[in-house]
Amino acid sequence: MQQGLDDLAGEAAVLRVYRQAFAVLAREAEKMILSPQLLDVDEAILSAFAASGSEGLTEEQVRNTCRKFPEATVSRRFEVLKTYGAVSKVFERPNERYYRAAFAPYIMLLFLRRIAERGGQSELHQLLSMEHENVSAATATEADGRASVERLTQVFRLIANELSIMSLGADVAQLRENAQLLWGNEPLISRAEAVHATVLQRWPALDRECQWLRAGLAAYRDAIDAAAGRLIERAGTTRALGLLPAEEWRSFARTADTERLGAVLDTFVFDAPAPWFDPQVMTEAVESGGRPDTARMPPPRPAGDTDPADGPESGPVVDQDAIRRTVEDLLGTENSVEIEDVMRVAPDWEAARRVLAQLTAAHHDPELPYSLSWGEGLSVAESGSPAWVTPGRLVRQQDPS
Amino acid sequence: MTAGATALAWARARASGPLRVPAGTPAPDGMLRLPEPSGDGAWLVPQVPESAGTRVLAEMGLAGPLLEQPNDTARLLAAALRCCWEDPLAPIWPGVTVASAPVLGVFGEVTGPRDELAHRRSAVAGLRRLDQAGWLIWDETADTIRLGPRVALWNASDLTTLRQLWRSMPGPASVPGQTSVPGQAPVPEQAP
Repeated sequence: MQQGLDDLAGEAAVLRVYRQAFAVLAREAEKMILSPQLLDVDEAILSAFAASGSEGLTEEQVRNTCRKFPEATVSRRFEVLKTYGAVSKVFERPNERYYRAAFAPYIMLLFLRRIAERGGQSELHQLLSMEHENVSAATATEADGRASVERLTQVFRLIANELSIMSLGADVAQLRENAQLLWGNEPLISRAEAVHATVLQRWPALDRECQWLRAGLAAYRDAIDAAAGRLIERAGTTRALGLLPAEEWRSFARTADTERLGAVLDTFVFDAPAPWFDPQVMTEAVESGGRPDTARMPPPRPAGDTDPADGPESGPVVDQDAIRRTVEDLLGTENSVEIEDVMRVAPDWEAARRVLAQLTAAHHDPELPYSLSWGEGLSVAESGSPAWVTPGRLVRQQDPS
Repeated sequence: MTAGATALAWARARASGPLRVPAGTPAPDGMLRLPEPSGDGAWLVPQVPESAGTRVLAEMGLAGPLLEQPNDTARLLAAALRCCWEDPLAPIWPGVTVASAPVLGVFGEVTGPRDELAHRRSAVAGLRRLDQAGWLIWDETADTIRLGPRVALWNASDLTTLRQLWRSMPGPASVPGQTSVPGQAPVPEQAP
């Protein structure tokens, strides 16, 4: 079975509370509850005892009843429960095989599951109601009032500290995850204030304790504001709808049925997908089909270059013809010609330079059958033009055919 | 037809494209009524004035509805048109129903040599897009293709261009490898 993230989060919440509550009890690390499945094992063991009747169960019987869980796990949990006294021998004597279970661990389990479901707030509400009952009772003494106010002060200080530390330091995901457990309860505060008012009215001497409670409540309120401010600020930047984490939206999208999912977009109207096909565009698409992609990026050109209209398409062809003509003029019937001769023939450097450029172009054009090879050294002629020339040779490559 | 019913039909057509209605339904104002060739019902297609249609967007240089793989989709529509519009001098609606194999064959001719898998994939993707937009009606289970009601929105000059395109394209009969029984998917030339 595939579990949603929500389920995992729920299990993690149970486990967290379970660990917190049992941290007081557990003396050894490996006897702490480390996975939510162990809670189920505990529950199964305890319910096996509940169903057993008055003579108790042997360990083998327990294992048999809990056989849907791995046997090793069951016996390990059984040992742990035995160590903590949740399960004990029916008669305290050697070789006693029958065990009985205490009811307190099961109550604890129920309580933990409820806290995990409701985030502990309803328990806090009940606690506040109880405290209010206590301090309003006719038989209540000043000592009861003091103890009550001190307990409440502790509770609110702990909540406020946890929440404000988280709202300062923790990342938003963690804040979001825990925020529901901690905040958002005006009635919580007003109930605490009711207790406070009753106590202060009945025993004005408890003024100092009541002041602490007031301070604790104010700190809780500030912490709520800080945490809410941070969450709202982050929600604004991530454009998350509400304050729900993205995972929750994702699991909603996965698990919700069609109606619920559709209800989200009830007020929206979407246009049908209606692309238009222009026949001209279709014709172009058909004509361009079957050819490899001819769209090429033009090479970068300096700004202010020649008009792109007389583009490079016509250029090379014209150039090629001109080059071929020039080179053929130079070569005549020969198959090769010395560069020095060509250079010296030219009337001035400008003309020689032009010829040289043409020869170089002819050499580099793969379609033209000419190649240019340069020799070593310089031939210098003081009066000549140009005054020095590197010897070289232009060769017409023989057509292989 | 009341104004309310007309408005409702237009809203429906906007949200879900061409509407399939039972036979005998009158056409609301501004909508084109295209009878099904089988006589079973009709299609209502909203027909907006030329100056308000999608093609105005192109003229104004504005982005229209996003279409993925526009070239392949257009080629596929052209291929379907070539196969389903038997006689280009006849009205384009309703055309004939053909098996998908010849359409895919023509599409393959138009797109040029491709990997068989890629060809198939782009064809199916294009068929889905065109079917969703009402340009084609693709019966996936029977694997047949016919023209969708939206083709009736092409005007006379569009149809002239399309006739030229029709003539320029290879027909389903001339496509090699399509001598197989119609209605079957084309057999890959070489097994992968």
